[in-house]
Amino acid sequence: MIKRSDKLVKKLAIVVYWAIMIILLGLFFSNDFGLVDIRKTSIIVAVGVDVEDGEVQVTAQLAVPQPSENGEGIQYTQVQGSGFTVADALNEINAKTGYYPKLLFCKLILIGEDCQKEELFKVLSCFYRRNYSELTALVAMCEGKASDMLAKTASLKSETTEAIRQVLSDELKKSANVSSVNLKDIAESGFSVSKACYMPYIEANKQGTSESGGGDAIGGDSQSGGGSSGGSSGESSGGGGGQGGSGGSGGGQSGGGSGSGGDEPLEFTARRTAIFSDGKFKGILDETQSFALDILVNEIRLAVLPFNYEDTDYTLGLKNTDGGVKLKVKDGKPTLTVSFKAKAQVQGAKVDITPKEVSQDDVVPTEVLKTAEKAVEERFENLLKTCRETDCDILEIKNLLHKYNYKYYDAFKDDILTRMEVKYEIEIESMN
Amino acid sequence: MKLCTRQICFILLAYTAVSRMILYPTLLSAACGRDLLFPALIDFFVQGVIIWAVAFLCSKTDKTLFELLEGALGNIVARIVYGLFAAFFFLTAIIPLFEQKLYVHAIFYDTIPSLLVFVPFFFFSVYAGTKGFKNIGRSADICLPVFILAMLFIFVMALVEVKWDNFLPILKTPIKKVFGGSLSTLYRFSEPCWLLMFMGHFKYKKWDAAKITLSYAGGAVITLFMLFVFYGIYGELAMSRQFAISKISLFFPAIELLGRIDLIALYILEIAMLFALVLNIQLTVHCVKKCTGYTDKNVISFIVNAALLIILVVCDSKFHSIHTVYEKWMWIVFVIFANVMPLLAWALPRRKKR
Repeated sequence: MIKRSDKLVKKLAIVVYWAIMIILLGLFFSNDFGLVDIRKTSIIVAVGVDVEDGEVQVTAQLAVPQPSENGEGIQYTQVQGSGFTVADALNEINAKTGYYPKLLFCKLILIGEDCQKEELFKVLSCFYRRNYSELTALVAMCEGKASDMLAKTASLKSETTEAIRQVLSDELKKSANVSSVNLKDIAESGFSVSKACYMPYIEANKQGTSESGGGDAIGGDSQSGGGSSGGSSGESSGGGGGQGGSGGSGGGQSGGGSGSGGDEPLEFTARRTAIFSDGKFKGILDETQSFALDILVNEIRLAVLPFNYEDTDYTLGLKNTDGGVKLKVKDGKPTLTVSFKAKAQVQGAKVDITPKEVSQDDVVPTEVLKTAEKAVEERFENLLKTCRETDCDILEIKNLLHKYNYKYYDAFKDDILTRMEVKYEIEIESMN
Repeated sequence: MKLCTRQICFILLAYTAVSRMILYPTLLSAACGRDLLFPALIDFFVQGVIIWAVAFLCSKTDKTLFELLEGALGNIVARIVYGLFAAFFFLTAIIPLFEQKLYVHAIFYDTIPSLLVFVPFFFFSVYAGTKGFKNIGRSADICLPVFILAMLFIFVMALVEVKWDNFLPILKTPIKKVFGGSLSTLYRFSEPCWLLMFMGHFKYKKWDAAKITLSYAGGAVITLFMLFVFYGIYGELAMSRQFAISKISLFFPAIELLGRIDLIALYILEIAMLFALVLNIQLTVHCVKKCTGYTDKNVISFIVNAALLIILVVCDSKFHSIHTVYEKWMWIVFVIFANVMPLLAWALPRRKKR
């Protein structure tokens, strides 16, 4: 009797098991495997964030995959949304494109000049939300409005985002030409005890010149606030982008292909650096200060140092560099040691030179090296002066105090930048 | 014998580490910041001692825990104890199950985070639940190489971004917080109970206790290294970065060019994760079988998994609340089952090993 009931239960269990499996498989397959039709989707590759009248404007550069038989694999387009937060603005973009944008593929976050008035992490907080976007996205501030900057036409690349990313590349970072940072770097330094961070400042120049491209392409001088048009490129819908776009992706999209808003191709540079303390914008480091910052905090392969020695302009290539700052507290007195070592090679000099002399020129004269050391020291001094004046600890000296001299932290944390003594240990040797 | 010592060592080495790679690092970072290694060290040390005690107990008897209990306290008590262990393993399986669901949704199916995507796991789980210790051992044989390969791949990619000074200054977190972190994550330490269940199912040979304990120590070292890498990369941000194992290799330079190649390793690692996750369910089924005396594992496995599925569906949006309860109170249950019970097993009269 018991055996019979056991058998019955066993049979019933198998039937129930298969029934549930069939139901679940039915439900699973009814989801079309959750596959996304590539022709009906788009991926955000870059976002520009502007703040206007307390409202956040997000301009998303979308990559729209195309069927390969059409020739080009991807088309780029720009869509703008606005709201109280970045997420709110992205939701508007969703309403315009019919596709909910995730930022997992977003590789560039461009912050408009208007955001200088805002607290940085209020603007960026959305990107730090759990798994909303990857922390590998590069962050930069740009002159004028970010939406305008993204709408410009790049001279070097067909796609503006790509052109901007190129000037923030790792290669340029390793040549001390840009202080590239990603979301993680910014949060790491911004939320550390130093509460300071920096990011490259993107500028657009007219091709072949160093003249600012400003808002030329957009209709409004970006240097004076990004243009009053509030819109972006010509036919693009700009701030009100997608008006009438009742869910259809066409209605909401602006700008069409890349660079449609620019009349003239522009070159992008990021040799200046925007600095922030406690989330507030503190200023922009010039090229020499940015260079000093880069050779201290980044791993450099080849940095180029121009300077003047006895009325002759020299350009030295610095290799095998090793720079950094150390803080020591001795007898109650904090001392910051700024050290920099490099091997130098003359890359250029405004002198008449014969082929024979070129081979001898490989050995850099000691006096030239001393002048180069002096030039580097001046740049460091200049950088530290700005740090003190703006009370912006971008060299993370408070961090050094906290990590390596913890017992003095409470005593010195408020005035370490002004209290510390600075020593420079700069050693530039000839490569040959 | 259904298991061999090698398989137990593999289980303790691979499953110990792999079951702590999703939220454990994030939780410890939130609890203790840069001193997150210390609560983990405390927990691993205590559990390591218990593991050694249980492994040593295995050298003294060739009986299973059920047989020891039955011999000393009678069949009814043995069944009650196994019933309690069944409940314990069931409770142990809940949080890793939720974690795994969130992880799979976030990493592999980020565009369709639907519960249905995870439901097929239960087909595997029901099937695995019907299998016994022999199957558990063979799974471990498969999982260890898979685990080692995937972890090597991920760690190599992750190491470039580690900043060693993220841990400075050391031990400035209040000691209360360190112990708090240790207690609040204790509900993840059920390994001594695994070994207690394996007792009598493998033939003890000389030095096996040392081998087993060292294997557990190996798992602990890998976990600690994982914590070290994770916090070394994210520092203060670590507490907001969920799914640690999928986040540590993101900064590898080649990813920029080749795309998320780390996902290959993560998919491979998922195999070991699933077997580790299902082990608690298999032990629940085993304990229910012993407790009820009902021999059809198909039915038991089906009921256990159905119960887990119901919890998953009903509490789909309540993970945070469930987790809070586990963090606050489950350490009591784990101290009793994973620490006190294995030691009490020493008090049971045992037949001398032949």
